[in-house]
Amino acid sequence: MELALTRRFSTLQRRLIVLASLVLIPVFFLPVLPIWVMKLYAPQYREGLQLTIYSNTIRGDLQNINTLNHYVGMRAIKADDFDEFRYLPQALTGFGLLALLAALVNRRWLAILGWLAFTGFAGYMFVDYAEWLWKYGHELDPRAALKLPAFSPPLIGYKRMANFQVWSLPGPGTLLLGIAWALGPAILLLDRRAAKRDIGTGP
Amino acid sequence: MKRWLAWAATAAMALWVTAHVPGCTSSRGSGAGGSAAARVYVKPGEHDTYYAFLSGGHHGNVYVYGMPSCRHITTIPVFTPEPAVGYGNDEDSKAMMGGFTWGDAHHPGLSETDGDYDGRWLFINDMPNARIARIDLKDFKTRQIFGPIPNLSAAHACPFPTPNTEYVFAASRFSVPVPNRPVKVEDYAKEFNGIIAGIKVDPVTGVMSMGFEILMPPFAWDLADAGKGPSHGWEFFTCYNSEQGYDSLEIKASQNEMDFVAAVDWRAAQKAVDDGKATTIGGAPVLDPAKVPGIVYLVPVPKSPHGVDVDPSGQYICASGKLQAEVSIYSFAKLKAAIDAKKFDGDRAGIPVLRYEDVLEAKVPVGLGPLHTQFDDKGNAYTSLFLDSQIAKWKVGPPWNVVDKIDVYYSIGHLMASEGDTRHPTGEYVVALDKLSKDRYLSVGPTHPEAAQLIDLRGPKMELLYDFPTYLEPHYAQMIRAEKLKPITVYPLEENTNKFAIKRAEDARIERKGNRVDVYGLVVRTHFTPDIVRVNQGDDVYFHWTNLEQDDDIAHGFGILWSSLNMQIEPGETKTIHWKAGAPGIVPFYCSNFCSALHQEMQGFIQVNPAGSPVAARQRPDPRQVAEIAAILK
Repeated sequence: MELALTRRFSTLQRRLIVLASLVLIPVFFLPVLPIWVMKLYAPQYREGLQLTIYSNTIRGDLQNINTLNHYVGMRAIKADDFDEFRYLPQALTGFGLLALLAALVNRRWLAILGWLAFTGFAGYMFVDYAEWLWKYGHELDPRAALKLPAFSPPLIGYKRMANFQVWSLPGPGTLLLGIAWALGPAILLLDRRAAKRDIGTGP
Repeated sequence: MKRWLAWAATAAMALWVTAHVPGCTSSRGSGAGGSAAARVYVKPGEHDTYYAFLSGGHHGNVYVYGMPSCRHITTIPVFTPEPAVGYGNDEDSKAMMGGFTWGDAHHPGLSETDGDYDGRWLFINDMPNARIARIDLKDFKTRQIFGPIPNLSAAHACPFPTPNTEYVFAASRFSVPVPNRPVKVEDYAKEFNGIIAGIKVDPVTGVMSMGFEILMPPFAWDLADAGKGPSHGWEFFTCYNSEQGYDSLEIKASQNEMDFVAAVDWRAAQKAVDDGKATTIGGAPVLDPAKVPGIVYLVPVPKSPHGVDVDPSGQYICASGKLQAEVSIYSFAKLKAAIDAKKFDGDRAGIPVLRYEDVLEAKVPVGLGPLHTQFDDKGNAYTSLFLDSQIAKWKVGPPWNVVDKIDVYYSIGHLMASEGDTRHPTGEYVVALDKLSKDRYLSVGPTHPEAAQLIDLRGPKMELLYDFPTYLEPHYAQMIRAEKLKPITVYPLEENTNKFAIKRAEDARIERKGNRVDVYGLVVRTHFTPDIVRVNQGDDVYFHWTNLEQDDDIAHGFGILWSSLNMQIEPGETKTIHWKAGAPGIVPFYCSNFCSALHQEMQGFIQVNPAGSPVAARQRPDPRQVAEIAAILK
C-alpha cells in the first residue's frame, strides 16, 4: 500500500490523468453539455417538453412546464433556487485542476485522494438531485387546483405521471464525467499490468 | 439459360401488367399515381404540399386551403370584421379597417421575386372601396390596408404584382368624374374618367404607398397582369365598354368589334411623376397621357375581353374576348417593335392605338366564354370557359391548338393552376373556381355554396380528382408550394414592442386619468391579472392584455358580457380593446378561447360604480396573486 502511494506514474498514466481533467472542460468551464435531461411527453405535447440541466443552470421549456405544474401546485422551477449551480462548476473545475496538479507533480497520493473526493462528490450530487426531485413532488401547494398524491419524478429512466410520460436521463456531460471518473481505476489497472510485466521479465 | 429466359419473360410480363392495369400503378404515366381518391388523400397528421389562397369575394376575406386534400385550414379576415379573433374589435385592426366593415375581395396577389412566388406577402383588393390589403405570410395577419385610392372607383384590375413586387396596381371598373363632382350621367364620355394606379411596395417592409395615377378614357377597366422576362416593366389591363355607354350596358357595352388591352410602361410613368409631369388630384399625382406621351398604349382586342394573362416566358400576352370563342395571343416583341416604330392607328383620348394585325401572334379557338388563362411547366395553357363550363388545355406556340378539354361544375370563372401565373409553374394541379354549384352537394336551401374542382395536370389528359364546396365567393385564387412559407407559431415575447405590453406580473395595474381607464393586464393559463377591475359609469376603459404564453396554440380570449366586444390574444401578443362602462353593476368577462384544463375558471369581474364615485388613480391586483403568477413566469 505504501508503495502504491509513493510510486510515480508512467508517462502514459500522466497523459491519461491530463485527459481526465480535459474531458471535464465542456461540462464546467464551457457548460455546453447538459449533465441531465428530462423529457416530458403528453398527448398534446407530442414533440415533448424538455428540461436541460447544466452544471451552472437549467434551461428548456421552463415557463411552459411551470405553467402546467402550477395546476398540481408544484413549486416553480427556477435556476435561482439552486445553490448547486453556484458551486458545481467551481467544484468540477477544482477536480480538474487537482488531476492536472497530480499529473504535473507526479504524486500518486494526490491523484488517488482527488479521485476519491470526486467519487464522493458525485455520489453526494446524485443524492442531492434525488432530494430535489422528491421535494418537487412532495411539497405541493395545498391550494392547488388539481390535488395529486405526492410523487417523485423519475431519477433515471421512465415514469408515467398523470397525462405525462416522463423520461429522465443523464446527458452527455455526465457521460464525460463518467469517463473522467473511470480513468482513475483504469490508470491503477495499468499499474497492475506493469507490475505483472515486471515480475514476468525480472531477474 | 432457358430458366433465366423464363424468369426474364415473367418479370417483363409483370411489369407490363402493373403498368397497364388501373390501380396497380399510375394509370396516366408521368408522376401521378393511384386512384383519384389516393391522390387527394393526406394521411392524418401529414400536411398538404400546397397552400391555396382563395379570395373571399363579397365575404371580404381570404380562405386558406391545403392542396391536394382541399381541406379548409383557416380564413384570414381582411375587409370584414371577425369578432372571434377580435379583428375589427381591437383598437389596431379597427383603425386599420378605416371605418369600413365590408369589402369585396377578388384577386389575391402573392409577392414575387424574379417572377416567382417568394412567400412573403399576399396582397388582395377590395373592389368597391378601391383598397388593397397586405397580409404578412409570417403570421397570416392583415398588416396594411391601403386606400381608398383617390380618384379610382371599383379597383377590380387589382393588385397583380410585378415580378419583383415593385408595384401593385388598381384600375377603375366603373368610371366616375375625376375629381368626383356632381355632373349629369349623360355627359359620361365628356366628364367621366377611368384611372390606372401604380402603388409602390417597399421591398423590405412591403408597405404600400402611392406611385402614380394615369387618367384613362371612361372604359370599364377589367383585369390586369404584369409582364415578366422580356416584358418586365409593363403591366397589361383589359377593358370593355369602349363604347362609353352609361346605361343598359349589357347591350351598349357589347357593340364594338374591338375593345382594348392597355399596355402601361410603369417605369416611364413613375419617371414622369418624378419629373414633375403629374397634376395633383385628390392628393394623387395624375398623369394625362394626352400630355405625357410614352406611358400607355392601346392594343385592340375582340369582343369585350375579360382576363389578360402573360405566359411564363413573358413573350405572349393572352387576352380572352369573353363574347367570342377565341383567345387572342399577342407577341410582346411585335408590340415593342410597333411602339418603337411609332406604327399607330390613331388614338383614343390621346393614347396611341396599335394595329391589331401588327401585334397579333395567334388566335386559339378554345371554346365559348373564355375568361382566364393559367399555365403549366410543359408549355401548355389552361383557359376557363364560362359558357361551356369547361377548361381547355392548349399549346403555347405553334400549332397553337387545343389538346384537351374537361368538364367542370358549373360556370367556371377563374382557375388556379399550381404557381400557374409565375415564371415557373409547377404543372401539378389546376382548380376550377365555379360560379354555380346547383346540385353538386347536399342542399342547404336557396343560398348555394360555390363549387370548386381539383384537377390533376400531371398526365397527358386532365383528370378530375375532387369536388368541394366553398363559402361565398372565391374569384381568383393562387396556389404556392408549402415549403416556401415558414410561418411563426408564437410571437416571441422579446420582440413585443407594443407600448401597452407588460411582461411581468408585478407590472399589472389599472390607471385612471380623468374618465380614461387603462388596464395593463396579462393573460396566462389560467388567469386574468388583474381579474377585478373597478370603474365608474361612463368611463372609457381600455383593456391592454398581453398573453405571456410562449407555447404553441395557447391563445386566450377576452369577451365582455352584454357587449359585442371579444378578441383573441395569441402567445406573446398584446391587444387593446375599448369598452364604455354602462349602468352601475357587475359585468363579468371571461376567456372565450378554450385554453386549458381550467379554462372555465379563467374569468373576472368589472365592478361599475355610479358616475363620480371615488376611485384610486391606480389599482393593483392582489399581491398574493401577483406573487403566484410571477413565480410561474420566472
